[in-house]
Amino acid sequence: MSVGVIDLVSLRKEFSDVVAVDGIDLHVDGGEFFSLLGPSGCGKTTTLRLIAGFERPDSGKIMLDGVDMAATPPHKRKVNTVFQSYALFPHLDVFDNVAFGLRRRKEKRAEIRQRVLQVLEAVRLSGLEHRRPVQLSGGQQQRVALARALVLNPAVLLLDEPLGALDAKLRKALQLELKGIQEQFGITFVYVTHDQEEALTMSDRIAVMSEGHVEQVATPSEMYEEPETAFVADFLGVSNLMTVEVEPDGSVCRIKLGDFTLRALGGAVGARGDARAVIRPERVRVEPYESTGENRVPGMIERVVYLGSSEQLVIRLASGEVVNASVANDGSERNYVQGTAVQAHLPADALRVLPPPRL
Amino acid sequence: MKRFLDWWANPWGQPRTLAVVTWLYMLWAIVPVCIAVLFSFNDGRSRSVWQGFSTRWYWGDPDQSVLHDPALRGALEQTLKLAGLAMLIAVPLGVGLAIGLTRWRGFGARPVNFLMLFPLVTPEIVMAVSLLLVFVSLYKIQLGTTAQALGQVTFSISYVVLVVRGRLLSVGRQYEEAARDLGASTLGALRLVLLPLLAPAIFASLMVVFALSVDDFVVTDYLSSNSSTQTVPIKIYSSVRGTTTPALNALATVMVVATLVAVTFAALVYRRFNKLQQGGGGAVSELAALEA
Repeated sequence: MSVGVIDLVSLRKEFSDVVAVDGIDLHVDGGEFFSLLGPSGCGKTTTLRLIAGFERPDSGKIMLDGVDMAATPPHKRKVNTVFQSYALFPHLDVFDNVAFGLRRRKEKRAEIRQRVLQVLEAVRLSGLEHRRPVQLSGGQQQRVALARALVLNPAVLLLDEPLGALDAKLRKALQLELKGIQEQFGITFVYVTHDQEEALTMSDRIAVMSEGHVEQVATPSEMYEEPETAFVADFLGVSNLMTVEVEPDGSVCRIKLGDFTLRALGGAVGARGDARAVIRPERVRVEPYESTGENRVPGMIERVVYLGSSEQLVIRLASGEVVNASVANDGSERNYVQGTAVQAHLPADALRVLPPPRL
Repeated sequence: MKRFLDWWANPWGQPRTLAVVTWLYMLWAIVPVCIAVLFSFNDGRSRSVWQGFSTRWYWGDPDQSVLHDPALRGALEQTLKLAGLAMLIAVPLGVGLAIGLTRWRGFGARPVNFLMLFPLVTPEIVMAVSLLLVFVSLYKIQLGTTAQALGQVTFSISYVVLVVRGRLLSVGRQYEEAARDLGASTLGALRLVLLPLLAPAIFASLMVVFALSVDDFVVTDYLSSNSSTQTVPIKIYSSVRGTTTPALNALATVMVVATLVAVTFAALVYRRFNKLQQGGGGAVSELAALEA
């Protein structure tokens, strides 16, 4: 059995007046890069702090490799944390910061020295052992925080928005580096972020959280292509959410969008009555007004936004809905201007039906 | 008039009038102290007519100098003894209280946090009278050094709590959590991480307690037993109407210098620590406010 397997069972944590974590169940495989994604206040950080041991759950289990550690204090758990603010000890230099955990374990001096230097090399900080945290750049501080946790060979590494304080370019570089380190060390990473792009690029699997519960657990591509709830569809990238009525028609699913009837192949096609339909902007085809066929709805271009690699068209459909279409800037001749009448083609395989939002 | 018009035209220019007023006030406040210090070096017995420079009132005079007059010397020793005791008792207690109070979230935390400020706003004379009353009739504490030290601790703890709590709030809980996460026990995290981070505040409060204790008159006087437990301020106050010599000025000067050195030292060390640790500005301004 691989190590670093986490199972959260009906985990629940309430603060004085809010339910931060509302009975979640999660399974994280050993060696997996698992992201908790959600807007602020969704309970992702509380979940992480519960696993780390800084909060005590009101009920539920936190299993690490089959052992419940809900009542174990943080310093006895085989998990380590990289804090959002890094929390590097300002009165200690880089070496002492990284050696802190090993010294608590009463390792031999020579052993400590060797392992600290080794891990500093792995995070490319060799030569900076005697700097103080304040003398390091944000990216370097981030790597010290990582080294300080990694040197202890934890079964699970918890990361709380570790790239949140860095600028966009550095984030991109460190995303790849983090992923590389995770693969190299083979440790389970539980990664908390509110940045959907970050979660999509790095994770093996993602759990999207909202208001204390898990909306969906899936791989990045599943999560993006096949969102199960309107929340997930909306949170991951730009989505066109439309209120529709589902009319099952034998084996095909027909949805009514105003006066138009469309065919949908994805999602909760067995649903009845009121529901929501979603389509990604890059799957919407913009065709000349004269074109005909199924799943085509006439509309008018309301706005054109030039984004460099693509153009975003805001189309007002005849049914009243507004749909965003993203058209790749691939060199083909096109002249969409405001006010042009077009046909929006919503391909059946790109149109997903979602159950109505939970109350 | 032209100045005013200039100012009206450009209110962002140098505020010369304000600067002049400020400097006048500084002079006004500092001149009396300077004159008192000056006359401590007077060669004659007068405290108002300059008769040449000497250090006889500090140590030169075999009977009446601060060094050799048993009453003056005793007052100085008592003052320093009380200051030492107050620092030793008030600072550890205050640090503990501050840590406890920032952690305590339950019922009663708010009123207690508020009550901590009580000794700061209670008139000192009221405090002194009530302390005398409870010490003598309720706790049966012997007046003198013990009572004086306890009295000073009672009101200086509030200052310690204020300074340390400011630092605690700016430090936050993250460092302790990090230490716990890396395998330190609760006590270990306190010793290895929290206390070093609190060091500047602890040092600052030591100096604040020193300054408060050395300066204190009312509480210390009420709780003194006889002339052997008189401190410098009491000594100066009680002998000011009798026949006096510049030795009194010398005694006062020693006090002023001691307090100044303590506070300056505290400020310097605090700044150094902060530069090193990038601490928050909360505690610094709090300290500055206390010193003012």
